[in-house]
Amino acid sequence: MEWKCCWATEEVTGSECPFIEPCEADLYVSLERRFIAKCLECPRMEEDLGRLSESGQPAAPLLRILVDEIRRQKARMDSMSAFLDNMNMEARFLHEIGVVLQTPLGLDEVLSVALTAFTAGKGFGMNRAFLLLADKERRFLKGTLGVGPRDYQEAWEIWDEVSRNDFSLKEMAKHFFDMKLSAEKDKFHDILEQLTVSLGDQSHILNKALLERRPILVEDASKNPDVDPLLARILGVDTFLILPLISRNRRIGVILADNFITRRQITAQDVKSMETLTFPVAFAIERASLYERLHEDLRKLTRANTKLLEQQELIVRMEKLALLGKITSSISHSIRNPLMVIGGFARSLLRDIPPDDPKKESLETIVREARLLEDALNEALSYADSVLPALDRWDVNQLVGNVFREVRRNLAGDRMNFILELSPDLPAIYTDYRQIAYCIKKLLRYNMEVMGSEGELYMGTSLEPDCILIEIRFSPEQHGDGEDGAVFPRLGEEDETKGMELSICRVILENYCKSFNVEEYGRNGRRYSLRLPLKKEGEDHEQDSGGRR
Amino acid sequence: MSRILVVDDESSIRLLYSHELADEGYEIATAANAVDAVELLRRDDFDLILLDIKLKNESGLELLQRIVKERHNLPVILCTAFSCYKDDFSAWLADGYVVKSSDLQELKDEIRRVLAKKSSRGPTHKVM
Repeated sequence: MEWKCCWATEEVTGSECPFIEPCEADLYVSLERRFIAKCLECPRMEEDLGRLSESGQPAAPLLRILVDEIRRQKARMDSMSAFLDNMNMEARFLHEIGVVLQTPLGLDEVLSVALTAFTAGKGFGMNRAFLLLADKERRFLKGTLGVGPRDYQEAWEIWDEVSRNDFSLKEMAKHFFDMKLSAEKDKFHDILEQLTVSLGDQSHILNKALLERRPILVEDASKNPDVDPLLARILGVDTFLILPLISRNRRIGVILADNFITRRQITAQDVKSMETLTFPVAFAIERASLYERLHEDLRKLTRANTKLLEQQELIVRMEKLALLGKITSSISHSIRNPLMVIGGFARSLLRDIPPDDPKKESLETIVREARLLEDALNEALSYADSVLPALDRWDVNQLVGNVFREVRRNLAGDRMNFILELSPDLPAIYTDYRQIAYCIKKLLRYNMEVMGSEGELYMGTSLEPDCILIEIRFSPEQHGDGEDGAVFPRLGEEDETKGMELSICRVILENYCKSFNVEEYGRNGRRYSLRLPLKKEGEDHEQDSGGRR
Repeated sequence: MSRILVVDDESSIRLLYSHELADEGYEIATAANAVDAVELLRRDDFDLILLDIKLKNESGLELLQRIVKERHNLPVILCTAFSCYKDDFSAWLADGYVVKSSDLQELKDEIRRVLAKKSSRGPTHKVM
């Protein structure tokens, strides 16, 4: 029998089998491979089998059975191969996503990768994806990010751009994060704003997906009794996929994905593949959230640590000052008694001495020098007192009033104008009376030394929202004679003694005051503003009561 | 003539006070420590005590408490080199408080004030 197909010929040429492509030249010389690849599907072979059957050959029916079986097996193999190819591609993609998701630590970067994977053509190719995240208190799912085109025009532009740039998933995610993320947040703002669902509403389809821990493909949303019609209206599609994001039993959020533009059907295989992706995405989002929280805690800890160090430094500084004070006090005491005796006896002798006695001048010198030394000692002891803390609740008006009166008594010049304005009903505040009083006295003394006996000193108190303001103004007399005006001392820039004392004042005032400001008005004087906090540090709820002193 | 007991561990200060206050017309007795002071208070009557807060190895404030307890009408003026004792509650038992100075005018004024107050209060009750 003459065969039309080449299935019985060992080697053939191109003219004998028109179904062999030039790139399949090896099939010309291999009957086995040619038979499987070409002859089984060849119409000529089908004709040959028919003729063989008609010829009554006893093996013809058997051959038909064998060929049909081989064709079935081949089709099955092809299907399995295609399936495996798909699986392989998906596995590679998931692996790529897994690797990419491991890199970023910021939440926005993770979201960029995740939503790019859902929407990119190289990924699952969904037109749009919306992410809803559970809030910190786990009370609501809130629309956080949307990705995809809003209309056909934009879709065309995006897909054109994607086709021109052959980006990998990682590159696409980076491009999205760098260039589009903030714009994308704004673009879907109206939709995201409406996508808020209470996690307590167990009948809601989104919560159902979370509770059942499975994706739900919603079809015919407008007629589906399980779907909130509002949700379908917000999304503007009838078919969409709900993917729950769960990590270690924690509800992270959900992703809503749809084919808003192409209306392409979402297959069961799509659902399965995307479900696989939700696990690493949920994990990465949780990790990023935890990382952000950790970062925040670290920031708080760092702040607390810095504060602690400052407090430690302050304590050390105060201890040093206290020690300095004790030493000063001890030295002053051991000097004061002999000095008092010397000065006292000199005064006694001076009282009884005749006016023309040659020793009178010497005695006067002793009395004068003794008094100067005593003043210096008083100063030192006053400082020693001031560095020993006297922390308690104090009446600021009493403090300012006492200092004012003392200074007026000791420093009053003939043409000096003193003004004291105390705001009534100020609350008592927690501060160190001695140290604040010491510092104010020092400021008054050194500034008034510059002003001389002319000018105006104003001291006042007033209540501000969370502090008490102590205001001190020095206004020297204006002579208008062209001379340079008073040069006020600067804290820390004076001669050695003044400099040290004023520096200590600055340290003390900065420690106790909420703010401590100096405003210079040149020849017109200077204004100090001391703002003492109403509440002591850490005192949030304690109510201020009246002064105890 | 008012009698004043000066209690101070510094002999030069006792001498200065004796000299100056005698000039003011007071009769002065001195004690260098609390034991001597108590002994003198048992033996004699005084109108006022000038008491140093820091005595050698003892506290003038403890002696002050004892005086107030046993001779509650006998006025005491504390004399000290430290102004900080003004804040000490024990020091508030005294009738006056003077920071030591070579200018004794403040001390003399304080003595006059306290004695004037005492004379309006009546005699002291001696139980020591």
